[in-house]
Amino acid sequence: MTVAVDRITKPAANADPSVDFGHRKLGLGIGAVGLLIAVAVAILAIVAAVQVGDAGQEDTIGRILAIAFGLNTLALATLKVGISVILIGILVRLWIRVQGIKVALPLLKAPAQGDAVLVGTVDTPYGTCEVSEHEPAELPIHKMARTLWAPMLGMGYMLVVAGFVVSLVWAGNIGSDPELAADTSAWTQGLQFLGEAMVLAGISFLLGSILRGLRQGGGDVQESIGVPVQTLQMPATAKAFIGLMMAGMVLAIVQFVGYIATTTFDNAIDVATWFTWLGPLRELSLGLLLAGIVLALATIGNVLGFQFWRIRGIVTTGN
Amino acid sequence: MTTATAEFSTQTHENMPEEMLPHKAGRKLWLPMLLMAIIGFGVGIVLAFVRADAVNSGDAETVAVLGQLVPGFMFIGFATVFAAIAFAVARILGVFREGGSGMQKMAGSEIKTLEMPATGKAFMVLMVLGMMTLVVAVVLHFIVGGAIAADSAWAVDNAETWSIALEGARRFGVSVYLLSIAFGLATIITVLRFQSLRVREIVAAK
Repeated sequence: MTVAVDRITKPAANADPSVDFGHRKLGLGIGAVGLLIAVAVAILAIVAAVQVGDAGQEDTIGRILAIAFGLNTLALATLKVGISVILIGILVRLWIRVQGIKVALPLLKAPAQGDAVLVGTVDTPYGTCEVSEHEPAELPIHKMARTLWAPMLGMGYMLVVAGFVVSLVWAGNIGSDPELAADTSAWTQGLQFLGEAMVLAGISFLLGSILRGLRQGGGDVQESIGVPVQTLQMPATAKAFIGLMMAGMVLAIVQFVGYIATTTFDNAIDVATWFTWLGPLRELSLGLLLAGIVLALATIGNVLGFQFWRIRGIVTTGN
Repeated sequence: MTTATAEFSTQTHENMPEEMLPHKAGRKLWLPMLLMAIIGFGVGIVLAFVRADAVNSGDAETVAVLGQLVPGFMFIGFATVFAAIAFAVARILGVFREGGSGMQKMAGSEIKTLEMPATGKAFMVLMVLGMMTLVVAVVLHFIVGGAIAADSAWAVDNAETWSIALEGARRFGVSVYLLSIAFGLATIITVLRFQSLRVREIVAAK
């Protein structure tokens, strides 16, 4: 399974860099489908808003809003799947970049000048880095990212789709079976937001895989041309990224359990009270995952800056 | 002579090109936006628990006012966290431009940079559209919440209509924002492809 997933993200060593692998078009196409669903949701919201206040329309409004909720989360998850496809394309391109630099650097590199630090640590404008003779070993978190991005994306999207199906049951029972409607409302919200969080975790793991690719690719290039291998130590942004991702996933599970717990309540006030804080809680879980993604992107920017700095160093000093 | 990068629209520079405004904004703004997001989410969740207490105790006015303020603060969080993501993507694009230019300079070749691709332009336009949609929705939430707190009968009567309409607007804004991020990331693929070909072009010329 992991080998099959690796084939998706790592091209052959002799891959032609001029070929367009299609990730960009496919990702944007999936994203456009997501936006179209979102437009439909916006129209449903306007239709529901216009009917508020019309006597006898409460059930109709409830049904429209139930379907709009399920569809909206589906739209957002579809957009995130599109983003994931583009991230896979970035991973593929990063490996091709590694091959290109491996070919180019020996020709551009100056003859070695002075003594280089062969083992230990050195300070750089981008943070402290480890110096070693060989490419660094894979970090456990990178191994986890490589293994888990695909299952998280797949399971997350399936939960969102399942939640959408439950939202149709919710809509169908408004007015006829209020108890079942309340239970399916809870299941829809819990399932779909757990799914959304898992899709975001999948994106986070893909970003982790990009960081792994940068670390391994950078080490591979340096080792192949016989210079000391410099690798940035894990920056604080990367550590905070992992912490936020974990916190976001924990809250996503808590909100899911909370919604399921409400299906056992007999008192409508208790259900309303729990729904009041569960809604913002599920949004907070996504917010934390998104904040983690910001820090992952910031880390990628930092690592790329370090790599360009390192390449310039090799070209000018030869070590 | 056809070059490896002939299919791309490029600019040629004698010296290191200046930092572009979106890249500069990305470098400076991703962290402030992230901090604002954390504040927005923090205030939103605290108010949500206050509202839950009001629901339990039957305080209808507090429920109605906070019914506007909670989504308002939560979506300040979403608007700014998506802005932080967009700025972080712009910062990465800036690093590629500066790093690629520096490498070409070191290699003693002319410095070629990509002109902003269509995906890059779509990234910026959609980001502004998504952000404006969310900001307008948040401002209207606060106006309606303020009017309910001031005992405006019109606001109380129309609170549900506003809630439904603004929820629709917020959802659409988030979708547009996500699509803008997809365009920003797609631009990174274009840049990576250009740089891989440019490196081979430089090597071939040596």
